[in-house]
Amino acid sequence: MANGLPKKNQGKPALILGGLLVLLVILAIVFFTGGEREKVRRLAAVSVPKPQPPAVKSEEKRTVTLFFLSDDDDMLHRESREITAGPSAAEEAERALAELIKGSSKDLISPLPPETRVRQVFVTKDGVAYVDFGREIMEKFSYGSSSELAAVYAVVDTLAFNFKTIKKVSILIEGTERETLGGHVDLTQPFFPDYSIVAK
Amino acid sequence: MKLKNVRTDKSRLALPAGLLVFLLFLLAGLGPQAFSQTASDTQANTRPGARKVVIDPGHGGIEIGAKGKFGNVEKDITLAIALKLKAMIEKSMAFQVVLTRDKDIDVPVENRSATANNVKADVFISIHTNGSRQKTAEGSETFFLSVGATPDEETRRLAYLENNSSRIEDHVDKTSEDDVKMILWDMAQAAYIRQSSQLAEMIQSELNTLLGTRNRGIKQAPFKVLTGVACPAVLIEAAFISNPDEEKKLASDGFQTSVAEAIYRGLMKYLQLYQ
Repeated sequence: MANGLPKKNQGKPALILGGLLVLLVILAIVFFTGGEREKVRRLAAVSVPKPQPPAVKSEEKRTVTLFFLSDDDDMLHRESREITAGPSAAEEAERALAELIKGSSKDLISPLPPETRVRQVFVTKDGVAYVDFGREIMEKFSYGSSSELAAVYAVVDTLAFNFKTIKKVSILIEGTERETLGGHVDLTQPFFPDYSIVAK
Repeated sequence: MKLKNVRTDKSRLALPAGLLVFLLFLLAGLGPQAFSQTASDTQANTRPGARKVVIDPGHGGIEIGAKGKFGNVEKDITLAIALKLKAMIEKSMAFQVVLTRDKDIDVPVENRSATANNVKADVFISIHTNGSRQKTAEGSETFFLSVGATPDEETRRLAYLENNSSRIEDHVDKTSEDDVKMILWDMAQAAYIRQSSQLAEMIQSELNTLLGTRNRGIKQAPFKVLTGVACPAVLIEAAFISNPDEEKKLASDGFQTSVAEAIYRGLMKYLQLYQ
């Protein structure tokens, strides 16, 4: 009798075990693949919600300073550019970066691949700007230390120099944190601007 | 009928379940290894009367690094120089040399510093060739880690929390307070950075003498491969592969030997400081 009962019910524990395993596998899949979207959503929530564009387009402009490379030396060089102003620092920052990617109007060298895409910029209350790039910034160029440092600091300096609310810049790729762009500069920590590499 | 269903369900589950069990085993296996480095390391790291030199040939595998006009890629040249340097050190000194890679394979950046920490390296040398968007950029430079990259308390705390685990356990008792751990880690890092700058200076001076390339000096940068290394660590950028003239030099056996020789001499001088 004592032996018979467990035997009869052997199917049930197996079923429960099977069910639990399915649940575990599903959880594992959600855990490992769901992360990216989660992060984007979480980070996106930090950004200021985009208000509706005003009905009357006043097209207010503001001047920003961009940082490019020059053939003459190893420094970053300033170039002024007009962008549409407002409504938020994050949106102005996106426009400033778009101009940086577009390249110099003089004969300065762009530190970013022309294919570079900014997916979003969000600025936290404590002054960290998260710049989320598309994968092109990594894939469209084979970086050396110099070009990688130039790419990172052109972005960081451009944002910190023009926007009072931005103190540090964190670079994301496709919504997630990456180690480096091309094997050199540590992207896992936010950057402070470095104006020592900017030409006077 | 019911029983059959259960069976088919079970067999369908066999693969994912097996995978899961495998993963669990993998994690269990990694666990002790990752935490096995204990405080025994503490004595070794302050006195670089070195026994082990870890050489890191930059990039590898699909990660080619910088690319030259004539088709030479950074990963091949760094490996060639690293192999020459290894031979030089092993020939003349009683030092053990460990390479982070000895062939053309992908090695994640964090594994490179982990190699240094796992073998309890006394010196870590990462070899690269530089790349710039300016075709005229030229010369050689030696980097060590920048401390100024994360100056404020909050960021340092964040960095500590992100990087905690094994390398901090190397230096401090697990039971001590987090703040104490952080201060100790900072002190250890400060000591490494001083030594790293000495090492960088000595190697750079030899690069200038032996290569005749433009002296770009020693610099600090937040390079990922240097951040996790618990010993004096430098990253050498020998000439620019993006500069056609320097690319030709870099591709030649003679120049590669000179780079290895310069690093070797600089390393020797540095090690003499601490003997």
